[in-house]
Amino acid sequence: MNTQTAFPEEVQQALRKNLPTRLPLTFQPFVNQQLREWEYLFPNERRSVQRLLVYAASLNAEQFDLLFAEVRGLEDQMGVRNWQFSTSEQTIQNSSLLARSPYFQQWRQAVQTVFDAADRYAQQTNDSEGAKRRRLVLLDLPKQLPVKQATAWNRWQGIGKVQPLTFPDLAPAFDAAQFLLWGDAGSSGDWAGGLMQAGAARAGDAGAEAWVIDAAASLTGSAWKNAARPPVPILLSYGRLDAYRENFSREMNTMRKDLTDADAVYDHLRSVDVAPWCPPEVAAQPAIREFIRSLYLSGNGAVIFGNSFVEWGASEALRRARPALLAARFDVRPRPKPFTGVAVFENPDLVNPLPSVPDVTGSALDAQVLALYVWLAAARYEEYRQQTVCVCLAESLSEAYIIAPEEFSLPGAEHPMPIGELRASLLRWMA
Amino acid sequence: MEKIRQIVTQGGDGGGVPCAGLVDGSKRNFLRGAGLVAAGAMLPHLNLAAAQDKQAMPGSGHKVVVVIVGGVRRAETFSREGLENIPHIVSDLFPRSVFYPHARNEGVTAHFNAISSILTGNWQRVDDWGKLAPTSPTLFEQFRKDLHVGSSDAWIVASNKALTSQIGASSASGYGPAYGANVVFPKQLMLQAVVDAMRSGRSANMADRAKVEAELETALEGSNYEGLGWNIFDAAEQLDPRVAGSIKAAIAGFVQNDGPTSGDELTFFMTREIMRKFAPGLLVVAFSDVEAAHFGSYAMHVAGIRTIDRLSAQLWQEVEANPDYRGKTTLVILPEFGRDPDGSSTNGFFNHRANADSTRDTWMLALGAAVDRPQVIERPIQHVDLCPTLTALLGAKPLETQGHSLSELRG
Repeated sequence: MNTQTAFPEEVQQALRKNLPTRLPLTFQPFVNQQLREWEYLFPNERRSVQRLLVYAASLNAEQFDLLFAEVRGLEDQMGVRNWQFSTSEQTIQNSSLLARSPYFQQWRQAVQTVFDAADRYAQQTNDSEGAKRRRLVLLDLPKQLPVKQATAWNRWQGIGKVQPLTFPDLAPAFDAAQFLLWGDAGSSGDWAGGLMQAGAARAGDAGAEAWVIDAAASLTGSAWKNAARPPVPILLSYGRLDAYRENFSREMNTMRKDLTDADAVYDHLRSVDVAPWCPPEVAAQPAIREFIRSLYLSGNGAVIFGNSFVEWGASEALRRARPALLAARFDVRPRPKPFTGVAVFENPDLVNPLPSVPDVTGSALDAQVLALYVWLAAARYEEYRQQTVCVCLAESLSEAYIIAPEEFSLPGAEHPMPIGELRASLLRWMA
Repeated sequence: MEKIRQIVTQGGDGGGVPCAGLVDGSKRNFLRGAGLVAAGAMLPHLNLAAAQDKQAMPGSGHKVVVVIVGGVRRAETFSREGLENIPHIVSDLFPRSVFYPHARNEGVTAHFNAISSILTGNWQRVDDWGKLAPTSPTLFEQFRKDLHVGSSDAWIVASNKALTSQIGASSASGYGPAYGANVVFPKQLMLQAVVDAMRSGRSANMADRAKVEAELETALEGSNYEGLGWNIFDAAEQLDPRVAGSIKAAIAGFVQNDGPTSGDELTFFMTREIMRKFAPGLLVVAFSDVEAAHFGSYAMHVAGIRTIDRLSAQLWQEVEANPDYRGKTTLVILPEFGRDPDGSSTNGFFNHRANADSTRDTWMLALGAAVDRPQVIERPIQHVDLCPTLTALLGAKPLETQGHSLSELRG
């Protein structure tokens, strides 16, 4: 664990009372791991751990026992004390033991009840400005992903509206998402007037408030020209992370063949030095380096496909950092190669010398589902339910699907709208 | 939902969707597969040679083939939108089946435990990684012990990487590996071939169909085949010579057929060879191409469903064409579980961990000798009900289990 001086005073007080060791056994791996990795947590995550500890520390002995009574009761029924259960960190072994217990679902519910109580306590004792901030989720299905007009938005089940777009303001070789996000290129080559500049500037010192996650490097690439100048958003590009991903994947495969214990594999990957594999924008930020490590370790295809990396990365960014502005762009993945398509953990180009063939249709279907998933991930959190505009661009259709609260209005909605007007409306929303 | 109800009801009345209307993107491969089946059935020398390895029919004389599919949701299969992904099941199999629209997995929705539960009739809560055997006797063990059936009569062929050779027999006292199934993981063979080729600088071979066959055979023969996780007859360092020929024939069929090359395709070819060579009375096939969902490709997941749809129909074609199976076999198809609902905290279709109907409420379809008449059974059943049902069909005495025998399926 880090030295306690790194923690806010309220957390230090809780630690002085040995609070983590008084928590139920199944709470300890989560809390201990969060405390140990404090420097890598986003502000939102720190607040969450802090809320739990501060709330628990505020209770007298009787209230404390009552808060955790259900969890402790279930732990007794599950026989957790007889398990080989790590209290220092969350392990695959822990998850496996919990998941196959007949009491697993009840336990999850009981844990959630504790966190809900801590959140309610925080709302009563602090202002909850974060939940009231205006936010924007921008999703992009670029032109190379062909989307069928008739079925493009069926999966969204009518939660938003279709907005036809025109592109009179768009410079050649520039696409709609770049225009919205980064604005116009000036004569000096600088970019101005985009949503990201506005969003990142508004974020101020809070950190991790503006994210761009890109299945290739075309959207983050635009930013890179200005990235030396603050405020800098968090830029995650599948394309720019090639070295990180491939080295990580290689380590994963080497370990898999030598060790049977999955936790040993993960222990190694948790500690391997990834800094040399990172592009500069990631190498410079330890929290982001660790975010990516955790993304890769948690599966969900982030090491395999660019679009999965975007969806899972965006979902985790929303869960962990609650950014005010999140942009996600999908792209085309290659088709699995004959015979070697099964070896998905390997770099297919190393496994099979046949040239990669793009799977345009399959990628478009993947991207449509995954774009919706990003919005559904956002909608799980209170911060995004009321005060968020979600724009999903289907560039091949010259359309956007827009989910927005009533106070967000578009001039001339339902008629084709110049992309510049959409940007102006979104800038007003974010102002 | 109304549409699927209509189709389901149509089947229940004995009517069906005309097969002649079936046209889809996979028809060419399906027809080729069916052609191969027919050709195989007409080759007398093949059946003559195979007869030496087959045993007399034990017990009731009834044979059972169980197809266990990886996680698929109702939304992508038996729903209005999903029907287009399972055209062969809907058109060819459903009209002659007993269909259970609600077959629930109430246990652990992870691969090893789910399949163990189906095969034992008891909800298993063992190690997810297959380090531990199921704790109560499997269908294989009950069948073999009660009816004194030989080891060549019970097989499991699986694409699923999450399974291990422990799936073939339980740790229950009085049972165990002596009564277990032969276990074959064809996909593991393919992975081994890829790894070996890479390690030896021969990865170019994987791009050349003619050389892939040699790579697969090298992987099979090159080292201890138990390293593949297989367990066939009396485990030994070398593959049993009775099986080697069938495995090689399956590899040749798979590589040379100019069709798709996924793990499930190889599993199908391997299964078919085992049916032709050994004609086991109890055969379990586990397909898992659909698990591409874990990597986040919805398109590949749906393609996996379509593959399973086609291969299931081809398997039924083999049952009908193969004299060792025709008229005395029940084929059962069911998913291990569904997948998580869209918008769940477990990332929707990627995973299968949510305690939700989308994950737990699946379906089951049975056709063949145990089916008196096609019908739809709206009553929800549980996955553990299958084992006692099949034990009885095979003529063995069912043990007491958490599952209850399904009265609609009778020998």
